[in-house]
Amino acid sequence: MADVINVSVNLEAFSQAISAIQALRSSVSRVFDCLKDGMRNKETLEGREKAFIAHFQDNLHSVNRDLNELERLSNLVGKPSENHPLHNSGLLSLDPVQDKTPLYSQLLQAYKWSNKLQYHAGLASGLLNQQSLKRSANQMGVSAKRRPKAQPTTLVLPPQYVDDVISRIDRMFPEMSIHLSRPNGASAMLLVTLGKVLKVIVVMRSLFIDRTIVKGYHENVYTEDGKLDIWSKSNYQVFQKLCPPGAWRFSHGNSKTSSGGVGRPGGKTQQVTDHATTALLHYQLPQMPDVVVRSFMTWLRSYIKLFQAPCQRCGKFLQDGLPPTWRDFRTLEAFHDTCRQ
Amino acid sequence: MGVTCVSQMPVAEGKSVQQTVELLTRKLEMLGAEKQGTFCVDCETYHTAASTLGSQGQTGKLMYVMHNSEYPLSCFALFENGPCLIADTNFDVLMVKLKGFFQSAKASKIETRGTRYQYCDFLVKVGTVTMGPSARGISVEVEYGPCVVASDCWSLLLEFLQSFLGSHTPGAPAVFGNRHDVVYGPADTMVQYMELFNKIRKQQQVPVAGIR
Repeated sequence: MADVINVSVNLEAFSQAISAIQALRSSVSRVFDCLKDGMRNKETLEGREKAFIAHFQDNLHSVNRDLNELERLSNLVGKPSENHPLHNSGLLSLDPVQDKTPLYSQLLQAYKWSNKLQYHAGLASGLLNQQSLKRSANQMGVSAKRRPKAQPTTLVLPPQYVDDVISRIDRMFPEMSIHLSRPNGASAMLLVTLGKVLKVIVVMRSLFIDRTIVKGYHENVYTEDGKLDIWSKSNYQVFQKLCPPGAWRFSHGNSKTSSGGVGRPGGKTQQVTDHATTALLHYQLPQMPDVVVRSFMTWLRSYIKLFQAPCQRCGKFLQDGLPPTWRDFRTLEAFHDTCRQ
Repeated sequence: MGVTCVSQMPVAEGKSVQQTVELLTRKLEMLGAEKQGTFCVDCETYHTAASTLGSQGQTGKLMYVMHNSEYPLSCFALFENGPCLIADTNFDVLMVKLKGFFQSAKASKIETRGTRYQYCDFLVKVGTVTMGPSARGISVEVEYGPCVVASDCWSLLLEFLQSFLGSHTPGAPAVFGNRHDVVYGPADTMVQYMELFNKIRKQQQVPVAGIR
């Protein structure tokens, strides 16, 4: 009810203000009329001047009065809404009950957020394009329009296509056997056996690698009910995953950009599983998922010499009791985790 | 079960067996190895009974029956240069029944006992080899768990052995060389222990040479 009354009062003030404006305009035009007419014909020159000045004064007074009246009324009407950058949504700021419906402040926040997001996304896409593998010609030229379309299509690849890609990779590497199964619906799970060195369980989502677990050749990769065990980790430190793959690994994944200074987060973290996770973060190429899988497998294959290759930097096999578990993404050379910068 | 190398550590000059073992374990602890209980490997010798020999016209073959605390439910029966049988522990009872064919050699029992150490993926067992009441030597067993092919990780094992055995680092065990790219098994370890025990037994027959 109070709102309605408020509105009616405001409307009355509005109409009064409009009539006041009209009055002001007419009085102003009277001033100019008076000036235009000039002095009226009177007997004496003095009389003419006096009459003109008096008339002019009267007109000016009425302008002054009308102006004051308008000013008084304009206070009653309240502030008119300014031309807001948010256009009509700016009118939300007029809502007097801020505490109950803080729509306007939320709107501003969201606006700032989306601005920032756009800015950061731009920066990120620039950086990612710089660091991606130079394996396909079209990755730089992909227009912004195509990209959002390309991503969903790679997620809904037909299972037959995934099978084909995997079997082709399987044939590519004779020392590596890949067994594909789909225990949980459409997502494929790969059991990769690399020579007599290690086994890797790769959980795929379409052709994207979601998770990798590395175990020893002689370790059990099945749960008691005969399914692939994708949760438990290896008993051996070489294969284990002791800490989740942090962002620092991603940034240090590229051998060119990595710098010293960042210490190892835990005590013993240079495990193959960790490195495999790093690799799948490194090999990202949303437009060509099969290339990603192939690059990952090529990289993984270099572990066939996990126990045979000495570190390319220090020349030794062991460091803190662990062999060189890192493989460079480009050269596939073996390094200890601490030797790889 | 990973690749294992069993070797003998000579007793240091002017030291007893016990002192040398202590020296070695202290070195391991300095390296960062953690103590993980004890271990025991024993071996009993049987020779074919004379009654069965004569009719066949063959020379007496020695059979070794061994136990390893790492495989508490198993019993290993080996011939020298021959096959290795892995059976349940009940096999011991069976051997008693087979008295007519295999006879236990008197006072032939030889065993090694000691401490088990874990260092990363390495398992190190330093033991004192005893025959009867007397200590005869020191055995050092190093197992590298993650690897199953001996030829793959021998260089790596060698580097580890050098880190605490120094100049006494052994050469590659014979079982490593003869088969390429074959998965290493518990029997290969037992063969190495058998060879080590035989070596120590022979050393004992030449008292002048001592345990070196």
